[in-house]
Amino acid sequence: MAKGNDSRTLLGMGMVKGLAVTITTMFKTIFLPKKHLATVNYPKVKETPVPRARGVIALDQDACTVCMLCARQCPDWCIYIEGHKEEQPPSKPGGRIKVRATLDRFDIDYALCMYCGICVEVCPFDALFWTPEYEYSETQMGEMLHDMDRLQDWMKTVPEVPALEP
Amino acid sequence: MDQDFAHHLSEVAVSVELETPDMTLNIGPQHPSTHGVLRLIAKIAGERAFDVKPVIGYMHRGYEKLSEVRTYPQITALINRIDWVSGYANEIPFIVAAEKLMEIEVPERAQYIRLILTEMARISSHLIFMASYPLELGAATPLFFALRERERVLDLLESVTGGRFHPNFNRIGGVKPAVGSGSTTRKQIQDLPAGFFTQTKDAMGKVLDVCEELETLVAGNEIFLARTKGIGLLPPEVAAAYGVSGPNIRASGVKFDIRKVESYLPYDQFDWEVPVGENGDCWDRWWVRLTEIRQSASIIQQAVDGIPSGPLQAKVPKVIKVPEGQTYVRAENPKGEMGYYLVSDGGSGPYRLKIRTASFSNISILPWILEGILIPDIIAVMGSLDFVLGDVDR
Repeated sequence: MAKGNDSRTLLGMGMVKGLAVTITTMFKTIFLPKKHLATVNYPKVKETPVPRARGVIALDQDACTVCMLCARQCPDWCIYIEGHKEEQPPSKPGGRIKVRATLDRFDIDYALCMYCGICVEVCPFDALFWTPEYEYSETQMGEMLHDMDRLQDWMKTVPEVPALEP
Repeated sequence: MDQDFAHHLSEVAVSVELETPDMTLNIGPQHPSTHGVLRLIAKIAGERAFDVKPVIGYMHRGYEKLSEVRTYPQITALINRIDWVSGYANEIPFIVAAEKLMEIEVPERAQYIRLILTEMARISSHLIFMASYPLELGAATPLFFALRERERVLDLLESVTGGRFHPNFNRIGGVKPAVGSGSTTRKQIQDLPAGFFTQTKDAMGKVLDVCEELETLVAGNEIFLARTKGIGLLPPEVAAAYGVSGPNIRASGVKFDIRKVESYLPYDQFDWEVPVGENGDCWDRWWVRLTEIRQSASIIQQAVDGIPSGPLQAKVPKVIKVPEGQTYVRAENPKGEMGYYLVSDGGSGPYRLKIRTASFSNISILPWILEGILIPDIIAVMGSLDFVLGDVDR
């Protein structure tokens, strides 16, 4: 049964009741301690996002083997990878020469990225990580293309693995 | 009336009939109450609108065609964006359709997680309605109350899935098992984070509180009642004929909820009711949604109590290929019935994906319901149907 207009009540009582809620909330906002507030004063006070928040993708350059899985699986192809093979001296004299793939370029165009996380999910070598970092806005669309050094910097912000609910 | 007075009247009476030509009025495409870009072409005669024609397609992104050239994991990320107010609820029918063709049994814990998060998406979508609908009628205060609690619910969604709007959390066979496939990222199991249950119960208590507050703020308000009661009447037979679904048809008195009919998620294990309106006016549509928030909060509280432990993923092949076949799976989205007709030819992506969205059918009622209505009531009726243009055009 839908409640609503009860003809027995005085005309205007509904508005008075509604105003009472507004005024109570106003006094709560003024007098209650700050932790009860719903908002924070952003540039001065910062909220910490949850550890799983998909803020930005960080890259561990040493772990990457230029296998291109992430670039191929990306739904809007916003990852640009270039690399070359590099010969490394053998670990002990007389051993085989190792060939290692090295990154030349690993750019993610965050203007295109839709933060689905497929690249992180398919990476078999632990090179890509999500971090909750969010302050990387730019004034120009073209500047949203971030290179591998910037992505490496974000590795510092990768949070600890949170505990799980039993 | 006495004779003297009638004599005066005849002196001031205007004998000339004013002829006003019909005017064509464009409402939108950029109007805040259209939740996106919807254009209405209305013929205005005096204060009333006739022959209203909705023009849609401004937000067409071609998801049905795009799905044919994407793989199944990529489509999950795409279909979050169909109805962006409840991104999580969009994933469920698609994933269930693929699982039905692959004949995968989803673990119970994964089903419960899906159910909890879907209901959270429903609460957040309905809270957006609770915020925006009074705003369209001129009451700004409920917006702050509703959005405050919606933020709480979205924080919970984010703490599990990592995304507030576009969770992309469902995988074929269950929910996202781990953050990546590397040796250390595999250890980051994407189960519910610690403290989720207590936080959820706390948040659901707050959501029930805000329902009380919203009811006090809006439900008794004489202006709100005058704007909504008896406005935009939608009889059940008309609603059914146009394919209206979700809270809109329930407000007209039809007890139709796919959560009760289909078994895509274990809704039958909980004790809840389908709220039904009486008249099918704007007020009933508002009231049904408010009651649905309460029902969803109650479902979540029961699900949190009864969630079983176990795996998050059934055994699925690494490269997902859906066997040949076709199926239609529908689910109760916050806006109404959402369904995916999935045709697979055995490849890594669908051969054809037809998306049935609730808002598209819900706004097809507009020419009927807006016939002969006052111009200010157009906004009241449109807002009460609660459609999202991304859901209409997709």
